[in-house]
Amino acid sequence: MGNNVLLVDDSSTMRKIVGRSLRQAGIEFDNIFEAADGLQALEVLEKESVDIVLSDINMPNMDGIAFLREKATRANMKNIPVFMISTETGEDIIGEAKSLGAIGAIKKPFTPDMVNEVLGPFLK
Amino acid sequence: MNIGQDIIGATTDVFSTMLMMDLVVGDPVDGAGGEVESNITAMLGLGGDIRGMLAVHCPAAVAMAITGGFLGVDVDELNEDVKDAIGEIANMIAGNLKTAFAGYDLKIELAIPTSIIGKSYRVGGMVGARRVAVPFTMEQGAFLVELKYIVNS
Repeated sequence: MGNNVLLVDDSSTMRKIVGRSLRQAGIEFDNIFEAADGLQALEVLEKESVDIVLSDINMPNMDGIAFLREKATRANMKNIPVFMISTETGEDIIGEAKSLGAIGAIKKPFTPDMVNEVLGPFLK
Repeated sequence: MNIGQDIIGATTDVFSTMLMMDLVVGDPVDGAGGEVESNITAMLGLGGDIRGMLAVHCPAAVAMAITGGFLGVDVDELNEDVKDAIGEIANMIAGNLKTAFAGYDLKIELAIPTSIIGKSYRVGGMVGARRVAVPFTMEQGAFLVELKYIVNS
């Protein structure tokens, strides 16, 4: 079974690293879509069929928390699961993300094994 | 607080985890000095209980090697990928420092990193800020991680 994954991060390097980590973790996927901020992510979700979103928190234009807040208001995307991948680990901000619908978080820096451990059950 | 050790822990964790690379750690410099030849600098502002700026200063060979390690390709020029990669290094080091500072009961907020490339530039400091810098060495050369900060009372 494949997956359509959306990677949201203002760093193109980090989007490539996360994509490569998914491959190295042996996670199968059909498509990896990319967005550089929350606004672009919403545009992708309006147009594409996405199974899971992996999103940074600190981003320009629309950060990960604002993205979650806006996504939750749109019926066509509010149930798409979101994992946060961020340098942010504070209980307050991760707690806020989870209260807005995020189902988990991975801290940067990370290894492919850490990605597999957290995301594998959702993507395989 | 031992900012030098916090910088060392934050930086070596990023390199060992993301690049599987062990760094040779230099002695922390408290105050002026310790500069390395630099062609690219990534900077990131800190706010909250500690305000200041984290900077990662790299010569071209080091920056290209880091970027190549991230992307899994050879990199032979200082381009947008290199700016982005060194910015992300600064971002992850700052994230680790944020966690370390939380252990001192200090809460900080992180800005979004900015990178500059050039042959001759100076990064201005903050008036009254304390500076701690740590040089690190990898196969391609040395780079410097520098924190200028003021603890808000």
